[in-house]
Amino acid sequence: MRRLLIGLAAGAVFVAATACGSSDSSGSDGGKASGGTTTVKAGVIPIVDLAPLYLGQSKGFYSKRGIKLSLTSAQGGAALVPGVVSGQFDFGFSNMTSLLVAQSKGVPVKAVANGAASTGKQGADFAALAVKKGSPLKSAKDVEGKKVAANTLNNICDTSVKESVRKDGGDPSKVEFVEMPFDQMPAALANGQVDAACVVEPALATIKSQGGTSIASLFVDVSPDLTVAMYFTSQQYVQKNPETLKKFQEATAESLAYADSHPDEVREIIATYTKIPKNLLETLTLPRWPAEPNRASIERLSELGVQDGLFKKAPDLDKLLP
Amino acid sequence: MRGTNALLGAAGLAVFLALGEAVPRLGLVKDEYFPPTSRIADALATELADEAFWTALGDTLTGWAIGLTIAVTAGILAGVLISVTPYLREATASTIEFLRPIPSVALIPLAVLLFGSELRSVLLLVVYASFWQVLVQVMYGVRDVDPVAEETARAYGLGTWARVRHVLWPTALPYVMTGVRLAAAVALILAVTAELVIGAPGLGARIAVAQTSQAVPEMYALVVVTGLLGLLINVGARTVERRALAWHQSVRGEVAV
Repeated sequence: MRRLLIGLAAGAVFVAATACGSSDSSGSDGGKASGGTTTVKAGVIPIVDLAPLYLGQSKGFYSKRGIKLSLTSAQGGAALVPGVVSGQFDFGFSNMTSLLVAQSKGVPVKAVANGAASTGKQGADFAALAVKKGSPLKSAKDVEGKKVAANTLNNICDTSVKESVRKDGGDPSKVEFVEMPFDQMPAALANGQVDAACVVEPALATIKSQGGTSIASLFVDVSPDLTVAMYFTSQQYVQKNPETLKKFQEATAESLAYADSHPDEVREIIATYTKIPKNLLETLTLPRWPAEPNRASIERLSELGVQDGLFKKAPDLDKLLP
Repeated sequence: MRGTNALLGAAGLAVFLALGEAVPRLGLVKDEYFPPTSRIADALATELADEAFWTALGDTLTGWAIGLTIAVTAGILAGVLISVTPYLREATASTIEFLRPIPSVALIPLAVLLFGSELRSVLLLVVYASFWQVLVQVMYGVRDVDPVAEETARAYGLGTWARVRHVLWPTALPYVMTGVRLAAAVALILAVTAELVIGAPGLGARIAVAQTSQAVPEMYALVVVTGLLGLLINVGARTVERRALAWHQSVRGEVAV
């Protein structure tokens, strides 16, 4: 009995000690000015969509506005929302559905600049519902009762696959989704683990290089000009650093416009922060990078999310969007 | 005998590499997903010529070394302290048994919340995983002290520190060395895992980028590098162990009496 009591007491002390031990983690005062320049920490994912940010950094679009852009890579956008809200990053990059979900749950995120948009061209988008060579599936409604790979369940992939199936006259509730990272989808398709995949570049280019095809351009089916992802920050940052935020928005808008009109430089910059093989890099379908998000398309995405039960409560777009 | 072993080892490796070349070439697996050895070697050569690769290697080794040093130091100090202080062992036993089996990987969300994707996240995981390896071995080692030797030292009037230095430490050292060797391997595993999952800079993050970039041979090349690193670390740890225990019967090879 005494042993037990001593043990419990020691446990309590240990827990208390560890609870206080880590209060020195970074605060949210990311914007310290040093000689007129402000360092801004952006959490990034090493994917094609972020090319404008890297390009803008190397072109000096940020530095000429007094912003020193420090890019820290994180594994996957899911890690970025908590990172930004807790102040480890000033800005992050996330797909639109994740931001809508966060907003509807009351997470204090604020989208501040456009990220990437669908090309709007049926059959020639950077994302697709893809099947392997010789697959019997010919159009979106054929995936009824089939296994479809999605990178994250209950996110933009299922919403858009369901919309494609619905528009093609199929029953979206009969699609079975399987969660797996994009990069594993080419192998999963080839081995027959899944029948179709909601896939983006560069995995889409791999599938096409093996003779696979796109049977639906999901994002185009949602909206002809879908805003797929945006840069975001926390509500707190918006209130504390309005000046820096404005500069970041201007610089990002300039970077987006530049990237949109200089695809060759985009491919060059992608080669610096990813390891996409040269032969694939040349065949990639790049997203479009308009300077402004398309609000109507985000409303559509939100409606579909409500319809598919992604949100308990419809997200408040006025609060979320810039 | 030694020569034969080395020869056998080399032959085994050669067969393994040849299999790696043959299996995809024969079409047993798709070479897009499992490239033959020669293509991996090509990618490895390209990696070795890349400055960013060496930076990543340095990052991984930094995380490994700092984490291991912290874990070993803390493990030895805590282990000795807990073992020689009356009541402390009973007081901490249940807590240690509760904390030890928590897989370090399960702490990734905590690490990300506290430190984001920085070196400190890697350190948290590395230290957590390797600390227990050392601590538990130290505690076993201390328990193994010969009571007669201990009583004799007392009878000769040796103080606490002298007894720790001359009786406890030599007894515990073989255990400590085992703990350090285990911890060194575990620390590398956790360093790479943390980089891979969290995205902290290092070889793991480079593997993740290669993976998302559909750069399959490069990914395997980096995996091979982590394997080689583990091999070197194990060889190094064994050398240190042999040196530190040169006086011990397990190393001297004498029959225990």
